[in-house]
Amino acid sequence: MSGFLLRRVLGAVVTLFAISVIVYVVFYVTPGNVAQITCGPRCSPAQVQQVAEQLHLNDPLYARYWDFLQGLVAGQDYSTGTSVQHCSAPCLGLSYQSDQQVTALILAKLPVSLSLVFGAMVLWLILGVGTGVLSAWRRGRLTERLLTGVTLAGVATPVFVIGLVLMIVVCGQLQLLPFPQYVAFSDDPEQWAWNLLLPWLSLALIEAAAFARLTRAAMLETLAEDHIRTFRAYGVGERSVIGRHALRGALAPVIALNANNFGGAVGGAVLTETLFGLPGIGQELVHAVNVVDLPVVVGMVLVIGFFVVVANAVADVLYAVADRRVVLA
Amino acid sequence: MPAPGASGARQFWRRLRTQRAALVAAVVVALLVLVALAAPLLTAIEGQDPTTYHPSLVDSARGGVPIGSFGGVSAEHWLGVEPQTGRDLFARLVYGARVSLGVALAATVVQIAIGVVVGVAAALGSRWVDQVLSRFTDVIVAMPLMIMALALLAIVPSSFPRPVLVALVIGLIAWGNIAKIVRAQTLTLKGLDYVAAARLSGWGTWRIARRELLPGIAAPVITYAALLVPSNITVEAALSFLGVGVKPPTPSWGQMLTAADVWYQAAPQYLLLPAGALFVTVLALTVLGDGVRTALDPRAASRLRIGTGRKREAKA
Amino acid sequence: MRQPSVIARRVAAASVSLVVAAGAAACGPEDNDAKGAGGDSTPHKGGTLTVLNSNPQEDFDPARLYTSGGGNVPSLVFRTLTTRNRENGEAGAKVVPDLATDTGRPNKDATVWTYTLKEGLKYEDGSPITTADIKYGIERSFAPELSGGAPYLRDWLVGAADYQGPYKDKKGLSAIETPDARTIVFHLNKPEGEFPYLATQTQFTPVPKAKDTGTKYEQHPVSSGPYKVVTNENDGERLVLERNTHWSASTDAERKAYPDKIDVRSGLDSSVINQRLSASQGTDSAAVTTDTNLGPAELAKVTGDKELAARVGTGHFGYTNYIAFNPKIKPFDNAKVRQAISYAIDRSSVVNAAGGSALAEPATTFLPNQKSFGYTEYDHFPAGDAGDAAKAKELLKEAGYAKGLTVTLTHSNAKDFETSPEIATAIQDALKKAGITVKLQGLEENDYSDKIHSVKTEPGFFLAHWGADWPSGGPFLAPIFDGRQIVKDGANFNTGLLDDKSVNTEIDAINKLTDLDAAAKRWGALDARIGEQALTVPLFHPVYKRLYGKNIKNVVISDWTGVLDISQVAVK
Repeated sequence: MSGFLLRRVLGAVVTLFAISVIVYVVFYVTPGNVAQITCGPRCSPAQVQQVAEQLHLNDPLYARYWDFLQGLVAGQDYSTGTSVQHCSAPCLGLSYQSDQQVTALILAKLPVSLSLVFGAMVLWLILGVGTGVLSAWRRGRLTERLLTGVTLAGVATPVFVIGLVLMIVVCGQLQLLPFPQYVAFSDDPEQWAWNLLLPWLSLALIEAAAFARLTRAAMLETLAEDHIRTFRAYGVGERSVIGRHALRGALAPVIALNANNFGGAVGGAVLTETLFGLPGIGQELVHAVNVVDLPVVVGMVLVIGFFVVVANAVADVLYAVADRRVVLA
Repeated sequence: MPAPGASGARQFWRRLRTQRAALVAAVVVALLVLVALAAPLLTAIEGQDPTTYHPSLVDSARGGVPIGSFGGVSAEHWLGVEPQTGRDLFARLVYGARVSLGVALAATVVQIAIGVVVGVAAALGSRWVDQVLSRFTDVIVAMPLMIMALALLAIVPSSFPRPVLVALVIGLIAWGNIAKIVRAQTLTLKGLDYVAAARLSGWGTWRIARRELLPGIAAPVITYAALLVPSNITVEAALSFLGVGVKPPTPSWGQMLTAADVWYQAAPQYLLLPAGALFVTVLALTVLGDGVRTALDPRAASRLRIGTGRKREAKA
Repeated sequence: MRQPSVIARRVAAASVSLVVAAGAAACGPEDNDAKGAGGDSTPHKGGTLTVLNSNPQEDFDPARLYTSGGGNVPSLVFRTLTTRNRENGEAGAKVVPDLATDTGRPNKDATVWTYTLKEGLKYEDGSPITTADIKYGIERSFAPELSGGAPYLRDWLVGAADYQGPYKDKKGLSAIETPDARTIVFHLNKPEGEFPYLATQTQFTPVPKAKDTGTKYEQHPVSSGPYKVVTNENDGERLVLERNTHWSASTDAERKAYPDKIDVRSGLDSSVINQRLSASQGTDSAAVTTDTNLGPAELAKVTGDKELAARVGTGHFGYTNYIAFNPKIKPFDNAKVRQAISYAIDRSSVVNAAGGSALAEPATTFLPNQKSFGYTEYDHFPAGDAGDAAKAKELLKEAGYAKGLTVTLTHSNAKDFETSPEIATAIQDALKKAGITVKLQGLEENDYSDKIHSVKTEPGFFLAHWGADWPSGGPFLAPIFDGRQIVKDGANFNTGLLDDKSVNTEIDAINKLTDLDAAAKRWGALDARIGEQALTVPLFHPVYKRLYGKNIKNVVISDWTGVLDISQVAVK
């Protein structure tokens, strides 16, 4: 186990390095006068030049990356004009646009994204795996058909359509819920949950179908295997066969898929965040990309990368627990 | 016990033919592809095209709502017209099918190709190979779609055909899930008896992969692929939403969904038409995917006979 | 609950005048938005106003903001020497004094402007406002750490071109004199009759030097207005303002300050904002938006609903969307080609692409259609409603393109209010009829912005737009048509690359005038003259329509900003 952990930690560090290098290179080649964008549309060439110098935008790529690494390890000093502030290690730099410390920005936005993704994950697992089990076990019944239809509609409709229609119908026309507005868990847990209900549902609906189909297929596979026939022959109850034995075999691909979806959703749920006005990482990332705010982009992408790596590590552990034949790599 | 997959193509078709639902689905998919390919012919029959504006058919003072019932349905415009522009919706829908289905299919092929290769290699290779490939997969999965899309769009000159580029972007970015699923499934299969038997018989790694493992991973891959095509259509919609999808005036279902989103209350058919088309596509592809998966697995026949609820399926 | 018949009659009477309601001023018994039992529509103090926005109040630092007339939310906190007149329509396009006693006293040739501060002006902490603070506020806007804003201060003030700001340059700006705590004098490079307009910008807000924290100032700027900043989360994502008890209404005729608290939220999706304002439930009934317009889809929904239509404010802002030509690139160096395209344009399909006739007005002049700009109606190349393809073909033949022409139209891919891709395709469709094949080149927003604003990479034929820094012909025409404003190695807005001595001289002459009405007439005449050269094809002027909540009272929409003025609004 400790070998596994060590390998994974090393792998994580390498992955995150690779990601940061890729982002730097991508932004280096992307067109767009960053200094002009940061300064403002009416800035004179002299002003733009000043901003470029201040932000080291004219330095060569490797020098800028080296500065980034230094900041990460040793922190950075910067001037506010009237005083000098210190950004302590690990310092991901300052936003070009707002001069905020990127780490502070991440700390402010991460809880929002995590709230969204965790809740949605619980829902999509229940809905998805539940529908899948039902499909394999009770094919053709009304509930199964209905649920399958819902999950398929979920994968066929983009999240901004589902979300907007849900909001219009549930909040505008039926007035069952007020329009969602993010409330932090620390402020009011009950309101936090109520306001996240629609975003959770929207995100869950689009992801559930994949899990439903995957579970169903994998269960049908497992159900056909010899050891299942043996159980049945010995008179083990159908419920037990499905629930304990068949489902176990289906877990592998489900766990794998979930890890990726969870990790990716932390930064990829940008459409859901934009639609529901959730000030999360995805929304911030898209905005930063649009205004070429490199420190924010790198910071956000690294955070997302971190979660993907962690989610995959957890998935591998769970996977080994679920299927004892697998050895932890 | 004969190894699965050794039964051959003929048995596969035989088994596929016995499933009515899958056959219907296959027909629907074929129809969709046909409609997409024959788009110019169909619109010529209707006498319209997807890019001509008809400003007289929309009510300019009310934001461009189509004039007439059901969004301007008439003998000239079979499915009505688009709000604001007055462009023919039937034409845009069928031309959009070309782009959406084409992009989604191409992207899916790319995703499956890369995902299977990476997943199998990771599962069968040494621990070090597995680590490197898994971490590489992590990097790709972690990279947000938007960044990759923007990067590629920025680097590639704008003369490169945009739909091809979008298909490549989606394909190159989203193979991570397939790779994960394939790796997981391969790891499981690796431990099964018949594979061990093959190994003992002296078969090389790649031979094992081709004959024993690929059929085994076919099931989850096909199941997931059936969902990948429509999912890629919505990814294309997401890219349009973020402003980096196919460029106007090229219609695509994704673009139509993005634009129609806000028109839900004032002109619902504008949203329901592409959404409905997409739903039918998903349904057909899913059922077809199920059928193909079942047909690939000879044990399914015996499973069908035992049954888990419905007797009438057992017809093999 | 059944309403008594007396009330019902009053409501019925009021609803007749609702037709005129959009943007009505009012305070008093004939107020058009009759609400609730009793229909009381006089505004009262108190309550919390919620503002639902898409964009955050970024860079809430007076040195960095780039506003027209001091901004909507910013002007609640930042008072300036002069400000815009907060009244409906045309009257709102005038300058009135704010911190100063008048709109400024110029010398004979308008190169020196003197202002006197009112008495009894205080910051949120009770300390007095002095002219030294105004001078400091302007100086710090030159600091590179606080970049942003419009270039006028740098260009107009004597010796300011190389000034680096007070953090580096301790000497300060000699162009600004403060002989005593209530007098301030500005020395300009050349005559500028419109200096009072410039003094409405936030850079003219007093900033106490002792409280200046550089880039951190935006988190809690010291307020001179009726509200102070209590919370500023994440660079303007959420801004909460509360009453500044040291602000006194007797020194401020322009701001009403009815609500006790203002909660500005952002990051919301624009369709959701419109949904919430339509539904108007809970706190949304006391909500407005300062940046989200009704799109065509929402307009379609609203026009069918009388109650909703009554809660829509309509306004006009000085703004023009147009096609720009680069006469250095063939075939646009040929005036006849430019004229042919001007004739071929189908403005009705362009207007539809922009949201329909309720949201966009077809434009044939470069200046916006408002009196303050000196709007002179002209249509040098009448294309009619749907374009004059025949005349266009004729001109093309004269230019030597009898067989037709193929050109590339450059536009941005960004989906914004101007919906550039859809407008580009509308133009493509229209020009087809005149035998002109248009290839579309859509660029990512940053790339597009880079290319069109650089003399070296400017495309031949592209979509552009321009808004008024203040409602006058000056800031509208000069940056676009003054040859001396062509920037060779930076952001250039004179896209027609026009450098006509007579035009430049006329601009200088008009700048000498301090009689703004006379100046407006001459700007209009200049616009008509420049229009003959067909360097641009004006397309449309946008109309802003915005919803507000059920309980919002005293909606004032001026022609300066075109949107609801948040300083006038009451929620009780």
